[in-house]
Amino acid sequence: MRRKKVHEVSVALGMVDELRKIAEKNSAKKILNVKLKIGRMSGIVTDSLKFAFDAVKLEHPFIASAEIVIEEVPLVYTCNECNRSFDTDNMYFPSCPDCDSYNLRLVSGEEQHIENVEIEV
Amino acid sequence: MCDVCGCSHDEVHETKVVDVNQSLLRANDEIALGNRKHFDEKGILAINLISSPGSGKTTLLEKTIEALQKDISIGVLEGDIETELDAERIREKGAPAVQLTTGGACHLDSALIHKGFHALEKQMNGKNPHILFIENVGNLVCPSFFNLGEHCRVVLISVPEGHDKPVKYPKAIKTSQLLIITKSDLLPYFDFDCEKIKRDALALNPSLTILVTSATTGKGMEDWVGFLKQEVRKRH
Repeated sequence: MRRKKVHEVSVALGMVDELRKIAEKNSAKKILNVKLKIGRMSGIVTDSLKFAFDAVKLEHPFIASAEIVIEEVPLVYTCNECNRSFDTDNMYFPSCPDCDSYNLRLVSGEEQHIENVEIEV
Repeated sequence: MCDVCGCSHDEVHETKVVDVNQSLLRANDEIALGNRKHFDEKGILAINLISSPGSGKTTLLEKTIEALQKDISIGVLEGDIETELDAERIREKGAPAVQLTTGGACHLDSALIHKGFHALEKQMNGKNPHILFIENVGNLVCPSFFNLGEHCRVVLISVPEGHDKPVKYPKAIKTSQLLIITKSDLLPYFDFDCEKIKRDALALNPSLTILVTSATTGKGMEDWVGFLKQEVRKRH
């Protein structure tokens, strides 16, 4: 059941492979919790990813009872003109709330990674 | 009885937290890196074309092959959910093509490209093309997540689709190096604001190059072909 449907399913299947490697490396009997960091602008729909993971985990005993916990990372920019850092919901044309500049650098919001896993040894 | 797993032993279940801190797409990225290395060693320019279905990827390729095939060899990997139709269109133009059917998946990944490229090498009797075009599955969302090892990602938006596509599909714009607006011969018939789409796309990705083309009239094709020739020259 590789490579099916929306990208969240592919991401969930990739996650299963990575979790297997992590379990082997750490001699884990099973994986209990998986903490993910998903940025607001990563393009991953967190509900879809959870749904996909819950569907695929049942085929793999070592993760069958695993829960994923998702930390959504806000979109944060720092202004290159005045150095102000700020959160925003504006994914398209954010500007600095102090000096109105569009010259910004992204600090966070594109994350899509596994932060840590809780394993049973 | 143990209440963690329901086993009948009173064994102690020891748990611990392991820091991982790695990308969810690591497996894909590693294979993509291998693909890229292979392309670089052989001097191949790899281009990943992404767009909605029907925006003119295959037509652009047909015209590109016509314009370049005297001087530059082209190989094509065609991604689709089903059918060989697009690969057949490319072969009719005289270029080797391998059809990758994903059987339901809405995007290509780096493992499919790896497999497909070896099939293409076989079809070319071990020779390498100057340019490898990867025509992704028609979809403006998922393909933008998967690095295939390409040097250049090109996103196509056709005039009938509307000028609002960059703001609706920002990831496709942000991860591409070139935006080609296709079917520009239809501009008189559609409410399509060329200046707005350029402004929006550049706000999302200031280093994006934008070309306005028409495969029917040939408009903009010179710029596209010129860009390809220049990129091939850098590698030879």
